[in-house]
Amino acid sequence: MEKHEFEKKLFQMTKPEVDQLKHQDMLADAIANSKDKTALSLWWLIIPLYTFMMFLMKSLFMPSATLSSSIHDLIAKQRLVAYLFFLISPLIFIIINIISIRKVYILSGSPKSINFLKIVWLNVLIIIFSFIVLIVYSL
Amino acid sequence: MAEIELLNRIKLNPAEFSELFKLYYKPIFGYILRRTGNFDEAADITADTFFKAFRHIKNFSYKGISIKIWLYRIATNELNLYFRQKKKRNSIFDRLDIKDKNLFADYISDDKKEYESEIQKHDQFLLILKGLKTLPIKYQEVISLKYFEGKENKEISEILLIKEGTLKSLLSRGLEKLREKCNQI
Repeated sequence: MEKHEFEKKLFQMTKPEVDQLKHQDMLADAIANSKDKTALSLWWLIIPLYTFMMFLMKSLFMPSATLSSSIHDLIAKQRLVAYLFFLISPLIFIIINIISIRKVYILSGSPKSINFLKIVWLNVLIIIFSFIVLIVYSL
Repeated sequence: MAEIELLNRIKLNPAEFSELFKLYYKPIFGYILRRTGNFDEAADITADTFFKAFRHIKNFSYKGISIKIWLYRIATNELNLYFRQKKKRNSIFDRLDIKDKNLFADYISDDKKEYESEIQKHDQFLLILKGLKTLPIKYQEVISLKYFEGKENKEISEILLIKEGTLKSLLSRGLEKLREKCNQI
C-alpha cells in the first residue's frame, strides 16, 4: 500500500469511542476532595537549602572559612563523607531538581510566563549551588 | 472566555474542579484508551492525569493555550511514563478516598464491558494500534494525536511543545515506519 493511501486509511477507519462512563462522577468527587501530599518532594529542596545555610553561616562567622577551604578540610579528614557530600549529593540534587523543573514546565500551561519562573526559582538556585560545590570539589 | 471564568472559579473553590471533569474527562479518557488499548490502564492513567491537573491548576497560567491543550499535554506525559515504565503501576484508585468503593468498582466493571463490546467492532484499528505500539514513543504520540484524535498540526505542536516543522518530519517518518510494520502484520 502506498504512503498516501495508508494515510487515507488511517483517517477514514473507525475508532473506538467512549460513549458513557458511569464512574466519572464518583472519581470527580474523590479528586476534588483529595488532599495534597507533596511533603516528600520538599526534602529535595530542604536538604540542599539547609546545607547551603550551614556554609553561609560558617563563612559569616568564620571569615577565613571559604566554601573551598571547608570542602578541602573535610576531604582531608573524612574522604568518604566528603565524597558523599560534595559529589554524590550535588549530583542527586541536580537530577531531582531538573526533573522537578521539567514537571512544572509541563504542568504550568505557559512555560514562558513569569509565573513559571516564580515557581522554579528555588530549584534553579539549588542547581547552581550544587554545580558550584561540584566544581570546587573537583578542582 | 468561559474557560477563564471556570479557571478562576476553580482557583477560588477547588470543588468546582468537577466542572472541568464534565467537559474534558471523556475526550481525555478516549485519547488514553486509544493509545493503550487497555481499559484498566486507561482508567488509571486518566485519573492520574486529572489528579495532577487538580493539584497544579493553581499554577496554570492562561496564556496562549487552553485548558484542553494543557490536559492533553499532562495526559501525553503520563502516557509516556506508562510506556517507559515496564513494571505495573501503583493504582491511583488505592490512594484516593472514594466514598463507596464497591459501587465504584461496579461502575468501572460496567464501563469496561461497554468498552469491550465497542472495541470488537474495530478490528482494523486494533491491528494499526498493535503496529503503532512497536514504534518509538515520539512517533506513537504524533500519529495518535493526528490520526486517532484528529487534531490539527498547531494543536499537536502545542500539546507536545514542539515546532510545527519538527512535527511534520516526525509524522512523515512515523507514518512510513507504521506502514512498513502494518504490511508485515
